[in-house]
Amino acid sequence: MAVNLNNSNVATRENRIGSITGYIGSLSDLASQSECGTLKGCSRCFSQSSTCLSSCALGQLSAIRDVAIIHHGPAGCSVLSANAYYLDKVMAKKRGVTNDTVYVGTDMNENDTIFGSTESLRSIIIEVNRRYSPKAIFVTSSCATGIIGEDIDSVVDDVRDEVNVPIAAVHCEGFKSRIWATGFDIADHAVLSSIVQPPRENVKSNKINFKNFYESARPEIIEMFRQFDLEPVFLYCNSTVEELSHISESAATTCICGTLGNYLGNVLEEKYGVPYVRSINQCGITGFETWLRSIGMATGRSEKIEKYIEEQRAVYMPQIEEVKKELKGLRAVIGMGPGYTFEVSRVLNELGIEVVWALAWHYDKKYENGDVPPSMKYLLDNDIDFEASVADQQNFEVMNILHKYQPDLYLSRHPGSTVWAIKNGTPAVYVADEYMIFGYKHTLEFAYAILNSIRNRSFEQNLAKRVKLPYTDWWYKQDVGTFLEEAK
Amino acid sequence: MGELRQIAIYGKGGIGKSTTTQNLTAGLCEHGKKVMVVGCDPKADSTRLLLGGLAQKTVLDTIREEGEDISLDRIMKEGFGGTKCVESGGPEPGVGCAGRGIITSINMLENLGAYTDDLDYVFYDVLGDVVCGGFAMPIREGKAKEIYIVASGEMMALYAANNISKGIQRYAKTGGVRLGGIICNSRNVDREMDLLRAFSKELGTKLLYFVPRNNVVQHAEIHKKTVIEYNPGSSQAQEYRNLAQAVIDNKDFVIPTPMTQERLEEILMEYGMMDMADDYRI
Repeated sequence: MAVNLNNSNVATRENRIGSITGYIGSLSDLASQSECGTLKGCSRCFSQSSTCLSSCALGQLSAIRDVAIIHHGPAGCSVLSANAYYLDKVMAKKRGVTNDTVYVGTDMNENDTIFGSTESLRSIIIEVNRRYSPKAIFVTSSCATGIIGEDIDSVVDDVRDEVNVPIAAVHCEGFKSRIWATGFDIADHAVLSSIVQPPRENVKSNKINFKNFYESARPEIIEMFRQFDLEPVFLYCNSTVEELSHISESAATTCICGTLGNYLGNVLEEKYGVPYVRSINQCGITGFETWLRSIGMATGRSEKIEKYIEEQRAVYMPQIEEVKKELKGLRAVIGMGPGYTFEVSRVLNELGIEVVWALAWHYDKKYENGDVPPSMKYLLDNDIDFEASVADQQNFEVMNILHKYQPDLYLSRHPGSTVWAIKNGTPAVYVADEYMIFGYKHTLEFAYAILNSIRNRSFEQNLAKRVKLPYTDWWYKQDVGTFLEEAK
Repeated sequence: MGELRQIAIYGKGGIGKSTTTQNLTAGLCEHGKKVMVVGCDPKADSTRLLLGGLAQKTVLDTIREEGEDISLDRIMKEGFGGTKCVESGGPEPGVGCAGRGIITSINMLENLGAYTDDLDYVFYDVLGDVVCGGFAMPIREGKAKEIYIVASGEMMALYAANNISKGIQRYAKTGGVRLGGIICNSRNVDREMDLLRAFSKELGTKLLYFVPRNNVVQHAEIHKKTVIEYNPGSSQAQEYRNLAQAVIDNKDFVIPTPMTQERLEEILMEYGMMDMADDYRI
């Protein structure tokens, strides 16, 4: 991939790595089309639900401690600031640190749109810097500023010396991409271009960059890595600007979700030589072990890691084998982001559960280094195939699939999605926490969570009897892909 | 007084829309018509000849400085022959959104009651091409129903006119806007009238009037006057009176049929290519 950190703009996932939001077929077809380059995204004639990439970008950046987000746009564009603010405070409290990040909207009005408002923006930046003394400033665009071509870059360049802290223009206009995960890349690009410094000479670090969402398993991961003489630096929730400035010195970069960490990992590797661990992720036994071994190879710690694997296996494998007996033969439908859906599919397969259909909210046919995502490659190499679709949280398609296949279980990582399944009478597991299937211990817990969900199905069955869903019988009889239009 | 006719004038940048509109307005005034001219260009120079200079404070500047609670006389000035002159204004070059400015200022004019019953004509003199939704504002939402495109025999002027027709066609389907014809502001190009006639026919409209080139227009402009005011006895003044009469009498309003690039180039080849064009000697 060609990284240009001198340009504040980063291309969308669609343009950069050929990501798509529309596909229906099988996993093997999806993968072979990705590999031979024939995969084209189809579109739907309407969208039932989606989200905005700017919320992904702003959510990532605002979680960094003691920075300022200046969101240049009409007040409505900053509506998620309350969420971000609340979440960031809770996450800081949970960890026992303080986060004084501020999130300011510039409240563009009609006149600002017509005449441009770079002068106001300039004074807002100066005032925010004076009032809150943030450790870094991110000046983010909105659709309105994008349309009128507001020159945020020049304003940022102009005030750089005056504010005297890292400052970046962040181009996160929501209309740029159908794929909200583009917002993750935009946030990474801003951090990389404004905060991350080249490695200092003669600094040998035992740190490992760990891109995740909310660091919920922080204490246990720190403890695990301590045994390998590695120290994880969790990004970006509760990160400090000081920490971020040195991530170029780390021994490796890894992530909890390929969609989330792909851009950062690849750029750190390409620009600063920090190895990016490109294995399947930590979900399940095979995933966890493969991931640990990859870290061992990247950081020269294979021996310690093999010892750890051996110890852990002895404790957990018998228990996991025991619960697998109860799960064998269950059928599941799964709907998650692509960073998880194909990873969790592997875990379900490992637990003896048959995946009948997997939906990914988008699909990256290749990562920045040009390879098919490792999770896909693993499934194919191991002859695991099932029906698969790419749909940006199109609930009507999920319901059609659940109605047709009547699985024992539906799994999703996105709020609300599982509620629909339950109303349909399908037991559901909400894989909310990113570490819910992490390593041996959590894989075991996950297996029990599934077992608990399907053992007593009376709640789902009774609820389904009393709830009328909005979809008609006509729709349930249609093919899932009825509203999918051919790729042009 | 008949029904109010709202007319938008479009055409390539620099083709002479503002000059033609103001001279046409002066002609209409001589015919006893009450006219309002709304300049839809951030440069705010659409009423200079009628007002005797750039004396106008624009709608958008006024809103910006004084808020929206303003009276109509703050933004409307009376010019030659009792014409009402308004400039919508807009941002400095290279910033903001001029298109959005036009939307805002036309809405403001409506809110302030600028469209009075005594008016016979309202002209919208619109910047250049229909580059975005804002510049189409005068032909949307039932405002200007009648459009004239100012063109010449020069190739780029015809490209632009064809492009503008696409915009008209789009809004004609829902808004009832129609093309009234092409006004040629002559550049003395060879076979210009034939070319413009053929072009107009292909668009499904007509060449409404051919305004010949005459230096008196430049003299009048330097003196910040329309030709009719500056030199009422000149032949060019009469041309503008005739143009005004052609507009008054015009009953042919059509949905244009914009042509493909290939067809446009064919017409240009047929009428625009002179035998001497390749006769190049050092």
